[in-house]
Amino acid sequence: MIKRVEVNYRGIFQKTLGKRIGGDVVLIASRMGRVGFSNGRYSDSPERNGIPCKYFAFVSHDLSEEELEAECGAKLDIDEADVSVVVDDTMVKGVEPWGWHGIRPINEKVVAGGALLVVSRKPHGELLKFIGRKPYPYRLATIAGDASLAGLWVFKDDLTHERVLGGIAALDPGVVDLDAVVAYLEEKTGDPRRAEAARQAYDEVKANTSVVLPDQGVDWPHETPVLPKWFEFAEGAAVPAVPRGFQLGPRGQSRNPRFKRGTTKSERPVVRFDLCTKCTLCWQECPDQCFDPTPDGLYDVNYEYCVGCGKCAEVCPVKECIVMVDELRFDDDASPWERYSRDKLGYLEWAESKKGTDRVVHPHVTGTGRAVLEGERIPVGKVIPARRKQEVTAR
Amino acid sequence: MTLAERTNVWEREDLLTGCQAVSHAVRLADVDVIAAYPIRPYTEVMDQLSKIIADGQLDAEYIVADSEHSQFEIVKHASAVGARAFAGSSGTGWCYGFEALVVTATDRLPVLFLVGNRALDDPGAFGVEHNDALAVRDMGWLICWVSTAQEALEHVLLGYRIAEDPRVRMPMALAMDGAFLTHSQHVVKIPSPEAVRRFLPPYDLGDRRLHPDNPISIAPQVNEDWVIEMRRQNWEAARRARGVIADAYREFNAVFGERYEAPYYFKEFMTDDAECVLVGLGTVAMPGRTAVRRLREQGHKVGYVELKWFRPFPTEELRASLGRFKAVGVIDRDFNHGSPDDGGTVFHEVRSCLYPLRDRPRVVDFIVGLGGRDISIADCVQMFELTERSEDGSVAWLGLRE
Repeated sequence: MIKRVEVNYRGIFQKTLGKRIGGDVVLIASRMGRVGFSNGRYSDSPERNGIPCKYFAFVSHDLSEEELEAECGAKLDIDEADVSVVVDDTMVKGVEPWGWHGIRPINEKVVAGGALLVVSRKPHGELLKFIGRKPYPYRLATIAGDASLAGLWVFKDDLTHERVLGGIAALDPGVVDLDAVVAYLEEKTGDPRRAEAARQAYDEVKANTSVVLPDQGVDWPHETPVLPKWFEFAEGAAVPAVPRGFQLGPRGQSRNPRFKRGTTKSERPVVRFDLCTKCTLCWQECPDQCFDPTPDGLYDVNYEYCVGCGKCAEVCPVKECIVMVDELRFDDDASPWERYSRDKLGYLEWAESKKGTDRVVHPHVTGTGRAVLEGERIPVGKVIPARRKQEVTAR
Repeated sequence: MTLAERTNVWEREDLLTGCQAVSHAVRLADVDVIAAYPIRPYTEVMDQLSKIIADGQLDAEYIVADSEHSQFEIVKHASAVGARAFAGSSGTGWCYGFEALVVTATDRLPVLFLVGNRALDDPGAFGVEHNDALAVRDMGWLICWVSTAQEALEHVLLGYRIAEDPRVRMPMALAMDGAFLTHSQHVVKIPSPEAVRRFLPPYDLGDRRLHPDNPISIAPQVNEDWVIEMRRQNWEAARRARGVIADAYREFNAVFGERYEAPYYFKEFMTDDAECVLVGLGTVAMPGRTAVRRLREQGHKVGYVELKWFRPFPTEELRASLGRFKAVGVIDRDFNHGSPDDGGTVFHEVRSCLYPLRDRPRVVDFIVGLGGRDISIADCVQMFELTERSEDGSVAWLGLRE
């Protein structure tokens, strides 16, 4: 018997987290007399900021390490998962590591009766508004928390790692059980708080697990590309590129239709067009050319291509004009400028409702690395409020 | 009671990737000079080594070069002045330093290189292919493939001992499959420094050491008056290396317990009464041997031969082994376009090795797993089936979209 765990994580920001969870599952399982090993999906290139990636841990009670490796390690991706962990809940909208993979449902690999464990503060119903339907029942569980986002080669030690281990034990003791998790953490770290975090997460997951039935979830809107046979594409590694083209207005620029990279983002920029001074900075500074100049001199955002890097919000000189907002508050990638053009006040009301008053900042990448500030609702028609220096550097 | 049982040769266990296991072995070999230049999948070795040095666990010069060519030249020169040296690379990075790789062999300097096997881009790809390490097969190198992180660690120690032996003094390419071994975390036993010291003597280049007190000049202009004689020296060293390799494994077993079985250059699995075997390099051994176990349950007389040493090629031993079978399927995770029968490189070498036999087994070739495409247990079962019924010299591509 083989138990397979996958950890869906975001490139760079959660690379170390994913690897540690995978590695510790193996170490804990081996203390229980089980055989295991762990690897990442090698093709991921997790050096790309925010790209959806995977780490795996494989555990067996009866196979030799070699046979376990033959079954699981000789493969690039997992066929099925007993537990799929998601350490950033915005990945429930789908994951696309490379254009030719297509946008895949986050629960793609979860087996019947298996579990999807999401680090999220959202109720299950909210998550299921995005998750694809499965033909069989499986379990959805949550650990209340924010996505643990750190920098390159930085491990943000915020107990997500320990809590996920406790959560895995709650969902499938065939992988690791709670006693082994606790004993391992106590022995390895000598810090009783870490074991306690795992224990609490175990109880929390037990209390926050629901069965997802085949009629729950969405019809998956994205197709998986069919790759060509060896004689069906051009020789010499020549592939179609993006044709030249530009016109004013939404979606006016030519972009690569095969790889949009939108599943890379955890937050998206929400624009108060009424506050915009047309300074062009967002358009100029966006590393992915996601802003489209419009006939009225504003800049539309193409959310299909936005990777949520936050550069536009960082350079925007106007207070509250561009604000990064949790991606799960949005259910489509429609043009905000078109919405604004149709109904200005309606758009502004909608935008403010999405923004709410919480403004999440990541002032540093280690430690807690996350702060929630109080936002200000700027009334329509007020004199353009420039950002003070402190407000700029606080980001 | 063996020495390994009497003494504590294993210090601890840790969860390590193949790259990390190599780094720990470099620490234990007390390497003096390390030159680094990043390319996946080798990069994790240099990352880990920089950490080991920063943590004070190894006292070594660590030089980040401006390219692979410089990287390889640095360790070559370090080796010439008597420093135990380590470098590594992958794929096209390895090829970028090719000139330096050639002269390191010609100058008979026993540097150990880790080759994290990687496809030769273009197009952009970082999965495993064996063409990078195979590129130096004609140059006077020792080339050895390992298939587990534990073996990788142990073969760094074996590699230095063999390469530095005065009868050999050749550079060593330790090859391991990118992703499947370099980046997979396994529980690895780490030996104690004392045990390693018992096995691996200090590096001593003797009177060939470049030093002001030992005035010599290495590799001057020689032209046709000297080159063929010099090549003959290299040829003899490669021949002598076969015996040194076997000795080193025996000595390794004496210190660390019975880790390896004769004939050492390759590892046979369930071959005693086999009629049909697969031969492969690297991690494909895992699905290969698993396929053997399953086919054996159904009564098929099959076996697996994991070829480890490719240079020097174990001619006599492999000929004697494979000559017993009716059919041999060679797994090539490499390409050799336009070659005889359009087969892969390992296929040609194995077939050539068997040529003198009166009753040769049929030898068939499989081009599989290129660019890091996975090779599953089912693929290996299919390779056995095809080997049992294919004509001698046939070449099949498996696992591609067609």
